[in-house]
Amino acid sequence: MALKLYDYTLSGSCYKVRLLLGFLELTYTREQVDFYPGRRHKSLDFLAINPLGQLPVLEDGDLRLRDAQAILCHLANKYDKTGKWLPRDPATFGTVMMWLMFAGGEIMAASAARLHDLLGYDLDIAAARNSAHAAFRILDDHLALREIAGAQWIAGDHPTVADVACYPYVALAGDGGIGHEDYPALRNWLRVFRTIPHFDPMSGIPEFA
Amino acid sequence: MTVTTDAVALGEWVACGWPGKVPVGGHWDTVILGQQVRATRTAADSYEVFTLDRTGTPGRQLPVQSRYCCIFTTLSEPKRPLPEISEFAEPDRRLVNSGCVGVNTSPYRLIENFLDMAHFPFVHTDILGAEEQTEVASYKVEHRKEVDEIWATDCQFFQPAASKAATGGQMTKYVYRIMSPFSIMLYKTVHGDPGRNDAICLFIQPRDETDCLAYMPMALVDAVSTTESMIDFQQTIFLQDRVILENQRPALMPLDLTAEIPTKADVGSVTFRRWLKQSGIWFGTSEKAAA
Amino acid sequence: MDRSLFRANARLEKARLAVVLGDVEAGRREMQQSQHDAAGARDCWIAVGLDAQIRPQSSHPVIVAGRELALWRGETGPAKVWDDQCPHRGMRLSFGFVRDGTLRCLYHGWGYGEDGRCVSIPAHPELAPPKTICAGAHAVATKYGIIWSNLSAARAATVPEIPAVTDWRPVRSLYIHRSAAVVLAGIAAFDYGAPAEPATPAADVYVVTLGAQTQLLLALQPVEANKTGVHIASSGVDATADRLALVRQMHSLRDAIEAGTGPSR
Ligand SMILES: N[C@@H](CCC(=O)N[C@@H](CS)C(=O)NCC(=O)O)C(=O)O
Ligand code: FES
Ligand SMILES: [Fe+2]
Repeated sequence: MALKLYDYTLSGSCYKVRLLLGFLELTYTREQVDFYPGRRHKSLDFLAINPLGQLPVLEDGDLRLRDAQAILCHLANKYDKTGKWLPRDPATFGTVMMWLMFAGGEIMAASAARLHDLLGYDLDIAAARNSAHAAFRILDDHLALREIAGAQWIAGDHPTVADVACYPYVALAGDGGIGHEDYPALRNWLRVFRTIPHFDPMSGIPEFA
Repeated sequence: MTVTTDAVALGEWVACGWPGKVPVGGHWDTVILGQQVRATRTAADSYEVFTLDRTGTPGRQLPVQSRYCCIFTTLSEPKRPLPEISEFAEPDRRLVNSGCVGVNTSPYRLIENFLDMAHFPFVHTDILGAEEQTEVASYKVEHRKEVDEIWATDCQFFQPAASKAATGGQMTKYVYRIMSPFSIMLYKTVHGDPGRNDAICLFIQPRDETDCLAYMPMALVDAVSTTESMIDFQQTIFLQDRVILENQRPALMPLDLTAEIPTKADVGSVTFRRWLKQSGIWFGTSEKAAA
Repeated sequence: MDRSLFRANARLEKARLAVVLGDVEAGRREMQQSQHDAAGARDCWIAVGLDAQIRPQSSHPVIVAGRELALWRGETGPAKVWDDQCPHRGMRLSFGFVRDGTLRCLYHGWGYGEDGRCVSIPAHPELAPPKTICAGAHAVATKYGIIWSNLSAARAATVPEIPAVTDWRPVRSLYIHRSAAVVLAGIAAFDYGAPAEPATPAADVYVVTLGAQTQLLLALQPVEANKTGVHIASSGVDATADRLALVRQMHSLRDAIEAGTGPSR
């Protein structure tokens, strides 16, 4: 088993993968990609590794995977002996998948807003922030219901890949000018997430450990 | 957005990009002090900058200099030359360009944060500072009138991981140098070679009063680290600062020294604010809002 | 204890400091500002959050009528509402962290005790912070499971009285992209699925009685011209399934109000 992560420290998507690698206590090598200002993820060399020109990419022996959500599932499926990070029971599996897709879909509007504000990406910032707020409200509504039911994670009674996939861009939202004022349940979930053993913070996540 | 009428701000050199940002023949549009400009790369090492009017038509040509991994321009008669930073000419230095990062705050909040050691333990925890050692020892600050720069010397702070090259904690010595309202740099102890200093700059491109781009070119003594990891280190640090910078209130800098409460550790900041006030600059300050 | 007095004192101290620094004009401005602070905001109690949502050792951002506030709680005890601005270099205190009953600023770690006074300045561990350095603390009351704050210096008003009911339980905080007036009208017009008997015991507070057992308390927080918070508590809804249904219904209330006429966000 040789794990290699094509990584950019400031990428929230790469952070998803680094978080789970940490939670599972897996050792891996990092191939730092000069995403900015170098734009090496669009270089011919890197396009041969991921034709989408995106980070992260994980290599596990001969297997090469792109997409943070897919990588989380692969790691949990292969290395998590407890089965907790990727629950297979029919009552939870579907819900975990649903929020995992949400993390790679709707929540990525917050990533777009962040790239605009930080690195000057040319996009409709008002639209990106509105979409991110709409997504955050949906997750906040869900977590508020979970609180009433006595639960604190997105699905089940322990953190799963859904929590890991949703966390980075919700936590980093401020980088894109998106405040947490309107999301009390989300704020408490963010705080609980930090208590997962082996949690590592990231630049832009404003809580003092 | 309209171009500022602040003559002091207009008379400064400001960064507006970096060499190699676009291929030869390419251009980029950006904004300085409220003025839309277009920079064109006319040859490998040659750049031209023009103002653009509202319709995007080029107007007058502006002076350009390409130095310290940045392209500088100015909208008026500059009242001072670009600073001399000799480290960038030393042959064994690694020159690192980290691009620029957008920050919604006043240029002077950025300068002050760069000048400030007291935040290391809380903002750059376990890298540039640790919660066990928070004390800021007294240091000297002077206005060097002949060059109109502010220097803070004899600064030192305990750092768990002072740079990419560092392998453990060290007492790091700093010298800070404010070269203009929009530029500051520091010299800090090189890991393993106490006789030399790493030179790290912060050049601000003020697009508007609370809308800046921050450039942080470095001239480092480090034969070991990869360029990626040096950029990574600098960007990691800066994004920690950025959370603070975007959440200081007000964003405009109060030049009234009683608007906020400084302590002895802030004598650099106090001297800076006084110097800004004396210069007559009002762009990016709260005083203008009151006036 | 009068917090605004603390603040006014801090202003006076700064005025004094300004004079010491030779800045007489700034000193005068500081005096004017301290008078302005005393005048303060409107004398009324505004709901700013559900008590249960503000966990021990946490600090949260809240906006009331465009004014940024930090809502925080120590290890124990009632929540506090402060100006979201550190007196040192203006960092928002809602980003702060709690240590030993003090709120610590994220920027340079200055610590503030529950009364708002600065008690530690890490850059100068030996220095006892001057008593006049003080965060802008506001009056707070916790009632019906809701945290209320009065941002005025006068504070003659009392927290809205809601008779008869004593067992309020927290339901949900909604943030609706409509003005307070539109939200109030929407709350009145909503179909709660049972005969509703509304009452408004105070401006911006709405009580709905549903049948014999159930009451809802909806307290409004003006956020911006076109955004309103609604903090909701219930009485007589206890089974988890019923509480879940109630939260869903409140989400529908929000969506109905936003779907109604009026400027969209
Ligand atoms: N679906 C991908 C998207 C990841 C993504 O957006 N990565 C960013 C870096 S944070 C990237 O590489 N963007 C370059 C691009 O999309 O062109 C995933 O979830 O891994
Ligand atoms: S700004 Fe709060 S401690 Fe410095
Ligand atoms: Fe910093």
